[in-house]
Amino acid sequence: MAKTRRIFQIIFLLFFVLLFLKARYPYDDSLSSDLFLRFSPLTPVFYFIDTLELRWIFWPALIILFITPFLGRFFCGWICPLGTSIDAAGKLVKSPSNKISGKYHSLRYLKFAILAGAGILALFSVNLWSYLDPLSIFNRALTVTVYPLFTVITEQSLLFLSNIPWLEEPVYFAYDHFKELLMPEEQALVNQIFWITLLFAIILGLERLSRRFWCRYICPAGALLGFLSQFRFYERIVGEACPVCNKCQTECKMNAIPEGDVSFTDKIECIECFNCGDVCPPKAKSITYRWRWKPYHSKVDFTRRQFVVTSGISLFSLGMLSVGLKNKDAHQKRIRPPGALEENEFLDRCIRCLECVRICQSNGRCLQPDGIHGSLLELWVPVALMRDGYCEYNCNLCGQVCPTEAILPLTLAEKQKTPMGLAYFDKNICIPFAENRDCIVCEEHCPTPDKAIKFELKLVTLPDGSSKVVKQPYVIRDLCIGCGICETKCPLPGNSGIFVTIENQKRGLGEPDQEEVYGYPAN
Amino acid sequence: MKRRAFIKSAIATGTVLPFMPVLANVNSQSPQAIWIENGEPEQLLSAALKEMGGIGEFVKSGDVVVIKPNMGWDRAPEYAANTNPQLIRALVKECYNAGAKTVKVFDRTCNNPRRCYQNSQIEKFASEADAEVDQIRQNRFEKIDLKEGVLLKNWEIYRDFLEADKVINVPIAKHHSLSHVTLGMKNLMGVMGGNRGSIHSDFDTKIVDITSAIFPQLTIIDGYRVLTKNGPVGGNLADVSLKKTLIMSPCMITADFLALELFGHSLEQVGHLKEAVRRGLNKYDLNNLNFKKISLS
Repeated sequence: MAKTRRIFQIIFLLFFVLLFLKARYPYDDSLSSDLFLRFSPLTPVFYFIDTLELRWIFWPALIILFITPFLGRFFCGWICPLGTSIDAAGKLVKSPSNKISGKYHSLRYLKFAILAGAGILALFSVNLWSYLDPLSIFNRALTVTVYPLFTVITEQSLLFLSNIPWLEEPVYFAYDHFKELLMPEEQALVNQIFWITLLFAIILGLERLSRRFWCRYICPAGALLGFLSQFRFYERIVGEACPVCNKCQTECKMNAIPEGDVSFTDKIECIECFNCGDVCPPKAKSITYRWRWKPYHSKVDFTRRQFVVTSGISLFSLGMLSVGLKNKDAHQKRIRPPGALEENEFLDRCIRCLECVRICQSNGRCLQPDGIHGSLLELWVPVALMRDGYCEYNCNLCGQVCPTEAILPLTLAEKQKTPMGLAYFDKNICIPFAENRDCIVCEEHCPTPDKAIKFELKLVTLPDGSSKVVKQPYVIRDLCIGCGICETKCPLPGNSGIFVTIENQKRGLGEPDQEEVYGYPAN
Repeated sequence: MKRRAFIKSAIATGTVLPFMPVLANVNSQSPQAIWIENGEPEQLLSAALKEMGGIGEFVKSGDVVVIKPNMGWDRAPEYAANTNPQLIRALVKECYNAGAKTVKVFDRTCNNPRRCYQNSQIEKFASEADAEVDQIRQNRFEKIDLKEGVLLKNWEIYRDFLEADKVINVPIAKHHSLSHVTLGMKNLMGVMGGNRGSIHSDFDTKIVDITSAIFPQLTIIDGYRVLTKNGPVGGNLADVSLKKTLIMSPCMITADFLALELFGHSLEQVGHLKEAVRRGLNKYDLNNLNFKKISLS
């Protein structure tokens, strides 16, 4: 069984990576790339807390939630790609057995506290859970750390090797296949790599303390599934022949077998890895697994006192969060992807999985994980920064792959009419205004069928007294969709002579912003 | 280095030619430029090549040929922002028939490169004829000296372009609000590296500075669909006019000059072309052209 489990773990991990790789242009939507992200058991629950609505788009998670009371935490042991990477990391760093790591036993309540705290915060519209959602964590790490690092190292070493004359042929062969199959686009570069990598590295590094440390003590998804499986029907039966060698106890990934009584399993902790059956000495082979219609119950390691303390702490932190970092200046550049819901709703619904950043045609130059500017909750939600990359006029893929529809799946025609913001000229530096020379690269690139940037011919007087006609550009508010190609292509070396702000942005199904959300005056 | 050598000899010939009018007219049986209209892209091309004495006049057996279309924009062919894909496919076939070793098709795009290659349909059509259609690789630009440069003394050019034995420049005729038109000269921006936006101030001088060093052996202007407004991106079918025309000349300046007629512009209006003529970069006397205008059908 343990062998089958390992094979399934690898299959699910590869499936996740395959869906990740498939999230690119040209996008084939017969198998949506966000499918696996909708496996996360937390998403439908927190979506429900938010909207009191059960959405069928979360069917994979709903199926898992439905089966768990019968079968237990099989998701953690068999499916979760973060769990699989944790297992692999454990092999590398040589996790200690439960003889040594058993001492952290008392931390079990922590994951329930985190789940309860996240739930309470969610009632007050504070989205903490998505930072700790295992599938979000994994997808973030893939998008920001694993894939860019893998591709940059592969590409650079292949290009380096291709300089060696007798290697040129085979290396270019490998290079062409690498480009075709793994990275047809340019190298992805994504912000926030340090912090996202750090979180991922800590989660994997905790294996040094105990096996599945994250799953045992921290993961809120594990807590939810554990809570649901306290009565599970599928049980481990220990036969008479058991010599009580305690091997199953010390080797248990989750320390779910109590030291005193190996015939018992803590159903809340057990992730059904079947290692116990595997390590049971061949002579004894006394462990079997079977369905029982009158299952015993395992108690949740979360006392009433702990619950009260957790609730207190979450409400207290709520108070701190609501103080916020009141920074209105930072708002004007917080441009969200086209079709993103209204900001507060968006922050609630976005699970920070960064699938939109992954599929963005700019390869992390336009859409990227945000840092903290105006509010703590902006961390790692997608933000469109236009100076280094812009939103492709003919692309609507970010909305197609958003697992929670925090970015609405707009049709291309709808997207092309949805302003993300509005462009403004900085006439102090814009070449035709500041230097009296023609440029209008912004006008050249403007993609709307009727250009949102037009220009007028102005007669200007030069410093030497002579005069000259210059093409001076201007923006037409009703035509501009804030795609930002003007800001990207502006040939000035530093700041752009034209920049996009959130003014006039259209969020969700509403009308373009006038003054209600950010206090910009309507004109 | 072959191409380098060619450029050198081209410059040398360029300087000698004006003093040897007799020599220039030796090849007078084939015209200096062709204007063909009223046909499908493939028909226009084969008719034009026939008038020119066949593709063999330009492409020799064993040549590495670069075809430089305009596929800089994420637009379908109907929008006339990119060169006609059928025309490119037919041209690739012609080159291979003339014995070309390899035919390469590429462009440094303005929009996302993969989207441009795909939506322009040039990737698909050119690959059907076995052309090598690769993305631009950032590490393959080479800085070249611009000896004739007034404002610019050097610029980065794509290495595959420099190393090719023959270059065929295939722009689509489009409106452009800065340069009035984008034709052969402007199309060569697709092989330039660096910050191309900066070429746009003092455009007329800078574009001539660079292109004068990298003249192609043949220029074919695709005037099948002509974008008359909102260029060079377009996006509105109402701005596209179906002219079913093709202009071909071994001299890029001559081809560009003739194509002005598609827009009703005169040489005086189009600064960069005027500058090129002022510097004498035209191979033929524009006032006394030996050119043929043919209407098919």
